[in-house]
Amino acid sequence: MKEKEEVVGLRGMMKRFPVGNGFFTALDQIDLSINRGEFLGLVGPSGSGKTTLLNIIGTLDIPSEGEAFVLNRSVSSLTPKESAELRNKSIGFIFQSYNLLPVYTVYENIEFALLLQKNSKEERHKAVTDALEWVGLADKAQSRPSQLSGGESQRVAIARAMVKRPAIVLADEPSANLDAKNSHTILQTMRRLNEELNTTFIFATHDEKVMQYLKRIIYLEDGKVEKDSVI
Amino acid sequence: MLIRTAIKNILGAGRRTWLNVAVLSFVFVLMVAYNGIFDSFMKDALTSAHEWDTGYGQLWSEHYDPYDVFTLQDAHEPVPEALNQSIIDQSITPVLLSQATAYQNGNMQNILLRGIDPEQQILKIPSHQLAGDETGTIKAVIGKRMANTLKARPGDNVLIRWRDRHGAFDAREIVIASVFDSNTATIDAGQVWISLDNLRQMTQMTGEATYFVLSKQSRIKQDIGTWVYKDMDFLLSDLYLMAQSSRIESVIIFTILLVVALLSVFDTQTLSIFRRQKEIGTYVALGMTPQRVTRLFTLEGTSYSILAILAGFIWGAPFLYWFSKTGLKLPESYSEMGLGMRDAIYPVYQPASILTSIILIVALSMLISYIPARKII
Repeated sequence: MKEKEEVVGLRGMMKRFPVGNGFFTALDQIDLSINRGEFLGLVGPSGSGKTTLLNIIGTLDIPSEGEAFVLNRSVSSLTPKESAELRNKSIGFIFQSYNLLPVYTVYENIEFALLLQKNSKEERHKAVTDALEWVGLADKAQSRPSQLSGGESQRVAIARAMVKRPAIVLADEPSANLDAKNSHTILQTMRRLNEELNTTFIFATHDEKVMQYLKRIIYLEDGKVEKDSVI
Repeated sequence: MLIRTAIKNILGAGRRTWLNVAVLSFVFVLMVAYNGIFDSFMKDALTSAHEWDTGYGQLWSEHYDPYDVFTLQDAHEPVPEALNQSIIDQSITPVLLSQATAYQNGNMQNILLRGIDPEQQILKIPSHQLAGDETGTIKAVIGKRMANTLKARPGDNVLIRWRDRHGAFDAREIVIASVFDSNTATIDAGQVWISLDNLRQMTQMTGEATYFVLSKQSRIKQDIGTWVYKDMDFLLSDLYLMAQSSRIESVIIFTILLVVALLSVFDTQTLSIFRRQKEIGTYVALGMTPQRVTRLFTLEGTSYSILAILAGFIWGAPFLYWFSKTGLKLPESYSEMGLGMRDAIYPVYQPASILTSIILIVALSMLISYIPARKII
């Protein structure tokens, strides 16, 4: 049995946004622990705080109160450079609308994160080729994003998130723009990568199809954890 | 890596990029062409001034003021002994001035008689044409502007009337020995050159001069007795003043052109940052710091100017070469401005001037790109 290693720890975390003369509480007293290799979803209606929570875990935002630890680093105390480095090396992102860079080929989109890491050309080539194999798009390496279908684009986004072998992958509504068949394909791909590479996947979703694949579901409502169930 | 990304992004932006590049490259080539004209004009004017008018410095009679005609009556002094050897060596040459009136074809024209040594070789005035007055006629050389005004041609006689040093009038016919073509109007328009000896005799100013023109070899750099030394900065001050005023005009014109061109870059950058919010988010998510994204967008804006300069070299080089060969034809009126100007200006492109234009365009586009990009942080 694998030893549990916490990759995300949230302790009494709150997030407020200024609205007019007051504040809107997006996350309220969140206490969570997420371990390496989990395949979990943050589930809830729009405005429940899923994306805000994902942004904090992704070090794109900081909590207003409480503590958020990602890979044993306090998110609040990271400098912009440190948080960028943490994202670059250890956190992969998958977006609802793929967010592929339109002027790059599929290969170059996947390679981009490795360029930031200043890896050698050979290392980059091996890693990108592997990533393309994982998502089954080796034949599309030189295509432009505009030449891909939605499902293919999202598979490229998965490859881009996985190419650096991150500890955590954050996926915000990854199946929202996909039909059922493509949704299942990308979820199966992610599940396989989760098992093969022991990468932690955290989803923000309210898609039933996604929920079928999750091993743990955290229900959020009005910024609070309503239910945390392991399946 | 940022450079590669920036170039890929702006090339990927298509028409908008090429519009910016076209506008900036047009301004760049225009700047180079204008500076070429200006540099060529200055070079011509300086060369002309040295060769035809100022030499490499002058010694003036203490009463001489070329801007005050009333001083001319007293602006003559005996040549000091200290200068005799320099005159023999041809390192300086005396010039005597006297006001006179020319009568030709029923017209009367105020002129300035300039007495010059026919043997002198410091100025390009064809003074050798003044040598040999055996027949008793006074030979004169005039420039094409003066010839135009007097409607006189070589061989024509022109009646002139002058006053000697005591104020007594005298008149006599002179014969036009030659008409010279000079870019320098100050030694041409209203000027009649005769031999120094003749003028001295006519005005009873034996052994006197109004000023001396110094050759390049002359070592005189200070006043000699009552003769006041005038250096090149002083003698060319009008030219420098005009150059400065032209520079200011060109700065205003180029500021307007650059503002228009850079507004287009600014607009593109602002719109680009607004439209590419998702892309900015992706860069940050992939591990770029916001500062690095700012640098990327600044670099993209700067790349427009670099591409514009490359484009400017590609289409501008043949155009500038052609322009340097055909030149810019000047209107007739320009030749009356008093400065050395040819009928056409042939641009000369100085590397320093091209480099300055490049640096200016790149630096300004970098600044104008940074202004909207800094808001990414």
